Order: sequence, then structure tokens, then C-alpha cells
Amino acid sequence: MNWKKDVGGWLLASPYVLAATVFFLIPLGWSLSLVFYDWNLIDPVRQFVGLENFRTAFTTSRVLYAFVNTYKYAAIFVPSVVVAALVLALIVQHLPRLKQFFAVGFFLPYLASGVAVGLVVRGILSYDSPFNEFLRATFGSSPRWLRDPTLALVVISAMIVWKFAGYYALIFLAGLQGIPRELYEAACLDGAGPFVQFRRITLPLLYPAFYTVLVLAVGLCFGIFTEPYVLTGGGPRFATHTWQLEIYYQAFDRYRAGYGATVAVLNAVATFVSVLIIRRVVEAWGVRRGFR
Amino acid sequence: MRRWLVGGMLMAFGLLSAAQVVEITFWTAPNPSQEVFWRQMAEAYMAINPNVKIVVSPMPEVPTSEAGILAAIAARTPPTASENIFIGFGEQLARSKAIVPWNTLPGWDNLVQNRAMNQTIEGWKFADGNYYIIPLYVNAMLIGWRLDILRELGYSQPPRTYSEVLAVGEVVKAKYPGKFVWLRSELEVPTWWQRWFDFFVFYYAASQGKALITGREITADDQAAIGVLQFFKTLRDRKFLITEPLATGFELGRTVMTVLGPWTFPWWRENYPELVYGQTFVVTPPPVPDAYPAEKPVFTFADAKGVVLYAQATPAQRQAMWEFIQWVFSNPAHDLKWIEITGMLPARDDVGTNALFTSYIQEKEPALLPYAQNIPYALPPFAHPEFVEIQELMGLECIYPVLVGELTPARGWDAWKRAIRPLLVK
Repeated sequence: MNWKKDVGGWLLASPYVLAATVFFLIPLGWSLSLVFYDWNLIDPVRQFVGLENFRTAFTTSRVLYAFVNTYKYAAIFVPSVVVAALVLALIVQHLPRLKQFFAVGFFLPYLASGVAVGLVVRGILSYDSPFNEFLRATFGSSPRWLRDPTLALVVISAMIVWKFAGYYALIFLAGLQGIPRELYEAACLDGAGPFVQFRRITLPLLYPAFYTVLVLAVGLCFGIFTEPYVLTGGGPRFATHTWQLEIYYQAFDRYRAGYGATVAVLNAVATFVSVLIIRRVVEAWGVRRGFR
Repeated sequence: MRRWLVGGMLMAFGLLSAAQVVEITFWTAPNPSQEVFWRQMAEAYMAINPNVKIVVSPMPEVPTSEAGILAAIAARTPPTASENIFIGFGEQLARSKAIVPWNTLPGWDNLVQNRAMNQTIEGWKFADGNYYIIPLYVNAMLIGWRLDILRELGYSQPPRTYSEVLAVGEVVKAKYPGKFVWLRSELEVPTWWQRWFDFFVFYYAASQGKALITGREITADDQAAIGVLQFFKTLRDRKFLITEPLATGFELGRTVMTVLGPWTFPWWRENYPELVYGQTFVVTPPPVPDAYPAEKPVFTFADAKGVVLYAQATPAQRQAMWEFIQWVFSNPAHDLKWIEITGMLPARDDVGTNALFTSYIQEKEPALLPYAQNIPYALPPFAHPEFVEIQELMGLECIYPVLVGELTPARGWDAWKRAIRPLLVK
């Protein structure tokens, strides 16, 4: 290795290397070491428990709820956000002017504070909100939005769709802008209508964007925290419980650093495996349809 | 040369003096009024004790004050002492040897005597017989009633028993179908500390203050607990209790009853000046079972917190903090100032009888009088290091399944007891 030649590169990379070491590698190593201990962060004695934390995690219903709910969230969130983002991208793409303005506008929910949005949604869905008053006056009753297990899951998923649709729309928009106009013109000359053009040109050529959005969306489902924390606390009866809520409750409510780290490691493994599977599925689909 | 010598001596003297100043840190609750109180105390103390520097700051909430304290201890940066510690968390700190028992310090008995805490302090004894927390305040949790609405409905005073509350519910619903007796959306949420403000309040009232858990044993009054669960369920089934999120209930007159702590009154003065004690609302002990003797006192839950001394402080810092704490708590005028600034009641036996306090309360904040009178019957939470899970399981295994009809109150209660037994022996 030519150190003199590489020193400039290392210097330029050093802020990232330093940050990654301090904020990622050291905490990761620390977490991996904690999984073998029962420790509340302050006790002078750390009790070595071997694989007991893993045994507990695999047998407790709380982790099982977090695991299963993640796929329930994914089942609602992933198709909804893909459709919403694609629709938004197509709308912006076909706007005659002010494209950038609307693209940024749709992106804004991504920047909004999850806590603030949660409080607004809670206000809108509270029993005495004008919305629910209207429903009761019209239909005689209003749904128990955050107290019904299915509805609560749908409400939280809808919030996350709202937040991320604009962000993913930008990815689709970039993909749309990369499709040569000549393809549409040629298809038009061949008599293809808008639907056929969309199916035969837009969708196949958007495959890289789909791939990115699907992988991001599936990964995101393993990191849901703020929305259920603010709205339901993971209830009713764990119906909206997530991995991140479980890690938070164990580490900061029950002060079980070792067990919290164990759940975090399991969360990382579940995320890695799930993202890997979705990647393989999407790649296989792309190859089969000739998109790759 | 002489000038240099004098200058050098002065500098050496200055350095020596600076070296003798002991700096101690005190974390207050993340509540501005409590911070104001402790800052005033520290400034007054430092004015007469220049060799002590007290740094007062609110404790970090990352994400909770308890987690902030744990993080500080783990990072070896805790304060010398802090307030805002309840007995369950104190038990956990004590087991980890993170705090020092106050009663091992010279002058402890005098402090208890001077602050009139002989009776109050008994509820703060830990399993090892030590006192790790000096109780700072005791907020008896009482029940607020909308007297104006009750009068409209033909009642001159609030109901006392479960049957009387249900009868009020019938009348409320008959006249105002959109109103409820009680709003308690948290009843369906398993958040552990919410149990302090619903089940614990009604359970202590029904059981004449019988402890839920003593040491590692369940010592609860089963009949009283099942009665409370049945009462909650009946209220909900008859639509007298609303458990869905509602922006505001009691303040706008949508409900007639609420579990009420004294910290609410300053907020009401600012935001709901129409709520006047004795006119629009009154405060009573919690409702009790029908067979509860009328002449017996009614117990309730006490939201009570106190001050701890951290073990990581140096001996000099501990000594300096102990002297400061003795100075603060040995003068009743300081406790009066506490009431004036925070609106909460100090943990003293005589707060409902000492003229210094009662005259102020009667004149300035009469709504606090029932709180002062009920301090002897206000019980702190149980002390067990697994308090979070024990109280969370109460919501998950018992209250929620009972409310939605999955379990009967008796089965729900048994389910909770079964679920917490393995935790109690930890």
C-alpha cells in the first residue's frame, strides 16, 4: 500500500470514518457484548446470563407481536406507499409548470416532526373532534379509531404512508424523467394508448426506482417507532407494537440494557433477512419480466 | 520585591480559599416551579455559607427523567443529589448501591423530628430497613366533581359510594346523553404509571389502604380489587365511562368526575378561570364500595417523590449536601415557600394542622385544603424493583381484558396475580 499516495484519501474520509467508529462501530460492539448480560446500566455487577436473553426473547409474546406486526405494517404500508408515490410522481411529471414547487411540497411531510403529526392525528380522531361529531351525527356512531386493533394499525400505517409518499415520489420522479420521450412518441405512432404506454414503457423502465422504493419501504417497517409511541403506545393489546417500541421499553422503561440489546440484535437480523428476501424476489421478478 | 511578595501571598490565599469551596450539584424535577424553589434555596444557603457552591439544574429527560439519571450514573456524571425520585425507582437505585441511606448520616433523627415527618417517613422505609429517600411532597390523589352540573341534576353533594356514582350516571345520561361520568382513556392503555391514577386510587380507597405488594408477597385485598374492577366495568358497560381519547372532559363539563392532583389548579387558574372551588367544583376522597363504613377514613394513592443522595459523590460533597438538605428541611418557612411556588404539599405530618400552612391554604388556595387533610391517608406506591412490569401487567392481563369483557373481574385479578408471581421473587 502506498501510504504517501493514500494519505489524502484517508484525510478526506477521516470525518466519516471517525463518526462511523464513534457512533456506529463502538455502540455495535458494545451492544453485541451486552446481549450476554443482565444489567441495568448502573449496577456495579453485570450478571453473565449466556444465551438467556435470547431464550427470553424467543419465548415472550411481546417480541412475537413486534415480529408479526412488522409484516402486518408492511402488508398495508408497502403497496399503499408505492401506489401513492407513483401517483404523486405521475401527477408532478405531467404538470405543465411549477413541477419543482409541487415536488418539494409533497416532500414536506417527510420533514415534519412525527410527534407533532401524531398529536394532530390524535386530535382529529379524538372522540369529540368535529370529524367524529360529524360521523355520529350522520351515521349514529363513530369508529374507535385508536382503540380497535385493526383500525389502529390502519391509522398508523396511513400516517406513515402520508409521511413517506412524497419522499418515494421523488425517486419515482427521477426515474420518470430518465425515460426518453422518443419511446412514448414511437409508441404513440404505433397506436398505443396511455394505459398501454404506462404498462409497456413506464413500468418496465421504472424498475430500478421500484427496486429502490420496495427495499427502502420494507426496511422502514422494521424501524417504526414515533407514530405508535405517540398514538397508541403499541396497544390495544400489542396490536400496533413494533420492534423499536420493544427496544425502547426494555432499555428505557425497564432499564434492561442487556435484554434491550438482544432485541435490537434480533431486530437487525430480521431486517437483514427480510430485506434480502425482498431483494431476491424483486430481482427474480425483474429477470423474469425482462426488466433487468 | 515587597509588592511581588504580597501579591504572591494574596494569590496563594485566594487559591487556598478556592480549594476549600465545595461544589455540589442538585438536579430538580423537569418542572420550572420546582427549579425556581431549589434555586432560591441554594442562593439563600450560599449567601450564608460561602464555602459551598450549589449548582441547581433540571434533570435531563432522555427520554424519561429516570433514564436520564441512569445514563448519568452509568457515565459517572450524576449530581450530588436530586429530587423527583419515587420509591419504586429508589428501590432499584438502592439495590444497585447507587444511592446512600440518609439515616446513616449524623442528625437524621433530628431532621425527621424538625420536619414533623415521624408518621410520613414510615411509608418510605426500604426492605433493608434504611431510608434512601427524604420525601419532598405528597400529592394525595382525590376526586374532583363538577358541583355545578351535579346541582343541575338535583344533587347537593357528590356521591360517596359506587351505587351512588352509578345513580348519578343514570341521571347524567337521562338529561345529557352526550355527557359522561368519567373520562379515562388511559384505562385501556397498559402504560405502567397510569395505574397510579386510576386503579391504585380506587383500590386503596376500597381496601382501607391495604398494600398491594409487601416485599416479595402479594398482600392485596382480593375482594376490594375485584370490586374496583367490577365498578370500572359497570361504568363502561353503561356508557358512564368513556375510554376513548377525548381532548378535554371535566374542564368543559363533558364529564362530572375526574381523578385530580393539586398540580392541576395553577393550570386551571390560567386556562379555566371559571372553575372555582366550592362553586363549580369540589374535591372528595375516592368513591368506596357500598358497605364501606361512613365514619372510617378513606385512603388513596399518593403521588409522592423525594430527594436522594448519590453514592458517586465524594465524602466532602455528601457532607456539604447533607448540611444543605438539613438546612432546607428544618425550617417550616421553606415548606411554606414550597407550597407558594409549586402549589404542591410538602411531605409533613402537620401540613393539615399547622396554622402556618392551613392559614395560607385557606386564604390563597382553598382547593388544597382537602389534599392537606388527606395526606395521612395517602399511600405511596409499592417498593419493588420490577414495578414497571408489575404495573404494566395490571393493564394488560387484568384491566383491559375485564373492560372489554374477555375476563370476569375475578378471573382478571387472578390472571394478574399469576403473571406477576415470577417477577416478585426476582
